[in-house]
Amino acid sequence: MEVQKEAQRIMTLSVWKMYHSRMQRGGLRLHRSLQLSLVMRSARELYLSAKVEAQEPEVPLPPSESPDPRLHPRREAETAAEAAPPDGEQPSPEPMDTQEEAPGAEETPGRVARPPAKVSRKRRSSSLSDGGDAGLVPSKKARLEEEEEKEASSEVPDRLQPPPTQAEGAFPNLARVLQRRFSGLLNCSPAAPPTPPPACEAVPACRPADSMLNVLVRAVVAF
Amino acid sequence: MAGAGGGGCPAGNDFQWCFSQVKGAVDEDVAEADIISTVEFNYSGDLLATGDKGGRVVIFQREQENKIRPHSRGEYNVYSTFQSHEPEFDYLKSLEIEEKINKIRWLPQQNAAHFLLSTNDDLRINLWHLEITDRSFNIVDIKPANMEELTEVITAAEFHPHQCNVLVYSSSKGTIRLCDMRSSALCDRHSKFFEEPEDPSSRSFFSEIISSISDVKFSHSGRYMMTRDYLSVKVWDLNMESRPVETHQVHEYLRSKLCSLYENDCIFDKFECCWNGSDSAVMTGSYNNFFRMFDRSTRRDVTLEASRESSKPRASLKPRKVCAGGKRKKDEISVDSLDFNKKILHTAWHPVDNVIAVAATNNLYIFQDKAN
Repeated sequence: MEVQKEAQRIMTLSVWKMYHSRMQRGGLRLHRSLQLSLVMRSARELYLSAKVEAQEPEVPLPPSESPDPRLHPRREAETAAEAAPPDGEQPSPEPMDTQEEAPGAEETPGRVARPPAKVSRKRRSSSLSDGGDAGLVPSKKARLEEEEEKEASSEVPDRLQPPPTQAEGAFPNLARVLQRRFSGLLNCSPAAPPTPPPACEAVPACRPADSMLNVLVRAVVAF
Repeated sequence: MAGAGGGGCPAGNDFQWCFSQVKGAVDEDVAEADIISTVEFNYSGDLLATGDKGGRVVIFQREQENKIRPHSRGEYNVYSTFQSHEPEFDYLKSLEIEEKINKIRWLPQQNAAHFLLSTNDDLRINLWHLEITDRSFNIVDIKPANMEELTEVITAAEFHPHQCNVLVYSSSKGTIRLCDMRSSALCDRHSKFFEEPEDPSSRSFFSEIISSISDVKFSHSGRYMMTRDYLSVKVWDLNMESRPVETHQVHEYLRSKLCSLYENDCIFDKFECCWNGSDSAVMTGSYNNFFRMFDRSTRRDVTLEASRESSKPRASLKPRKVCAGGKRKKDEISVDSLDFNKKILHTAWHPVDNVIAVAATNNLYIFQDKAN
């Protein structure tokens, strides 16, 4: 049950990260999106296998899902790792380690802090140059200031919205699973990630706001 | 300032690393544009270049012997600075292309080399002739016909230092492929494939992320290459594909913290690594403004810190230690006290001398061996 909760939490966190990554400058990063999807897939596998073990009714998986054979041996390895840590001094396997934390809590090691949602990109007047070389420092003026105003007015989410096509793209199976299995989860999850930045909740100005789930699914299939 | 100290001598504990200089603002509130994104010495070590997220390049030049200012000998001072990249907007895709400087590579001056590799794309490697700017050769293309089948991306690439037809590229799956451009124009088929078998006992949700290679560097000799993944540095013999010849743990104490590091995105940090001039030592960065050096011959390692507090002229750097568990000794720092916002991603080692440049967010620290 704890394993299932942890997997669920990581799935939610991953989907939220995928959504949030669309807001950054430069849009979606292929490598980052791939890594997030791999974690989502691992968590989904564990979540579903934990459900099977708990003898809950399950919708049969489409045969084309999870083509990676490594996912199946991994499930067994994770179960074995959780059951019997080989050495008492070694760090606990990942799911057990996070059980100490309350779901959705902000507990992180020491001064681990979330990356600030809004950081001023504007350059300081002098940076690497010594004081005597201030005349060599190129300055950035109007362009950066215009961009900051744009960000403040939350127009970025509009520009980065992909065309509203679904179920085709890099990870269509994952998208379908998200729609089918996690619609309730994403709408009212107790393990939601803490304090998502305000930009994520900005209502698009050009058309009616989509449900969070549809936007998140589009984030997965965007590229 | 001759490079007598650089040849054949191990680094790490056998040397006294001393503070030399620090460049950059002291403000606590760092502007994102000022965050250093790449550091590179040129082939002689007389020039040191940095690039930042704001698209600016700053070039420092080493001062030569100067009778008027004898204390400035060996110092790096600003030689030139320019705005290399500006942000662009791709109207077709409605995407803003950021101006961050990803990599700086100096051209060797002694021969007529006219080529450079660009690997900004995740799925392709292109070869550019410097006199032909409107097109390039595509030499590696791993984009699948169906993007649903995408399983890995290219993360780093480098030419062999001596064999101009040989290059390596690393992947997000922790593998390295060596390609020979003489064997075929399109190097989709590798000549060698380097991969270490996974340890099943350490499997977790995040195994794939932490196995992704963030940097690959050939040794100066060309006999070895080094890869950096999230927790370790591995040295590979080009003649052995089955496993690395050396594995150095950078911060193994983070393995039990991967979930938290995933939450705060630190698990996606891309650390670089570098060799010293004689290939006897390697260096890479970590968190809390720590950086690590590994002496390959003595198998000793040391953790040092780049901080303003220890930035007195010619002050020796004191080795630091992280307490992974149990009773914390005096002068040790516990894992939970590490500042994960202070990360050293980019480091460079002078090609001959024991002089290192370490980028800590928006500051550039220069340290040198006391013997220098």
